[in-house]
Amino acid sequence: MEINVLEKDRLRIRLHIKDIPLHILNSIRRAAIAEVPTMAVDSVVITSNTSVLYDEYLAHRLAMVPLTSEEALEKYNPPEVCREAGERGLFTEDCFVKLELEGVGEPGKITTLYSGDLKTSDPDVRPVYDRIPIAVLTGTVTHIPGRGEVVNRQEIRLEAYARLGRGKEHAKWSPVSVAAHKYIADIFIDQGKCVGEECRACVEACPKGVLAFEDGRVRVVEDKIFDCSLCRECELACPVNAIRVRWRDNEYILTIESTGVLSPKRILIEASKIIDKKLEVFLEELRRLGVVE
Amino acid sequence: MFPVRCFTCGAPIGHLWEEYIKRVRAGEDPGKVLDDLGVKRYCCRRMFLSHADIVYEILNFPKVS
Repeated sequence: MEINVLEKDRLRIRLHIKDIPLHILNSIRRAAIAEVPTMAVDSVVITSNTSVLYDEYLAHRLAMVPLTSEEALEKYNPPEVCREAGERGLFTEDCFVKLELEGVGEPGKITTLYSGDLKTSDPDVRPVYDRIPIAVLTGTVTHIPGRGEVVNRQEIRLEAYARLGRGKEHAKWSPVSVAAHKYIADIFIDQGKCVGEECRACVEACPKGVLAFEDGRVRVVEDKIFDCSLCRECELACPVNAIRVRWRDNEYILTIESTGVLSPKRILIEASKIIDKKLEVFLEELRRLGVVE
Repeated sequence: MFPVRCFTCGAPIGHLWEEYIKRVRAGEDPGKVLDDLGVKRYCCRRMFLSHADIVYEILNFPKVS
């Protein structure tokens, strides 16, 4: 197997992988989406909410906030254990991180509560982005005859409990926004059939700019071959059927884009570990049944 | 309020809204601002382009519950 890193930064990784069967790569991709555990708010205890936003709306917004999970994977109990604890209302410290949010509005003013205002019980688990608006608050002044001015301040006071979970349970736990693989094109041009520069049909048809003329002949632009989406517009456009788009066997591009909860590198490592573990369990079961030695 | 994540791909976008709307209101081209903020896919871009922030109007009405 040969792997080239095409692109790598804080959130994205793009790998060019040779000699890998598609089903192996696909299982890594699927494990990245649905199996790699991350932290996300799962239960919210609302002490007070006199804002215009409903409790469910607040709980949903809190759940969507990405929380840093790099250290949490070792520190906290696995999703299956914590799910049960959560259902029974046991917010134990080995499973849950408490995040508190408080805010009071003032008449004539608009107060925004941000994800950065969440007070966390564990500094390793905190919102990835501090500027996600969670709620807005204000206040009203009402004149009541005999009582004068009554000031009403909108207030939010809540405790959110985050735990480890997996993407297959709810998408909020998925560490990736993109996990995709694509084929790499192999473009064959029959130079005998091609009429040359007076045609240009394929070059103009390509939406990705993969093809170009070089010394009067159609050529694949170097490095652009990775951009080819195998749409076959060039095949359709060619009046003499001189171009064929095929794909390379066992060679793919894997793209992972993280939501920020884990680094792309960590997501790949964890995904591979999970597949490894699943296969180990499978083999163990076969051994137990005497199918394998 | 502006969604925390893109409905389609799940990428966090909530933290970009305030800068986006500030710059667009100042007269910048929305497409250019989104390019600048690193919002690439059209699923995420439509979240910004099609959003009407209605919460500031609702804010002054009492909640019925």
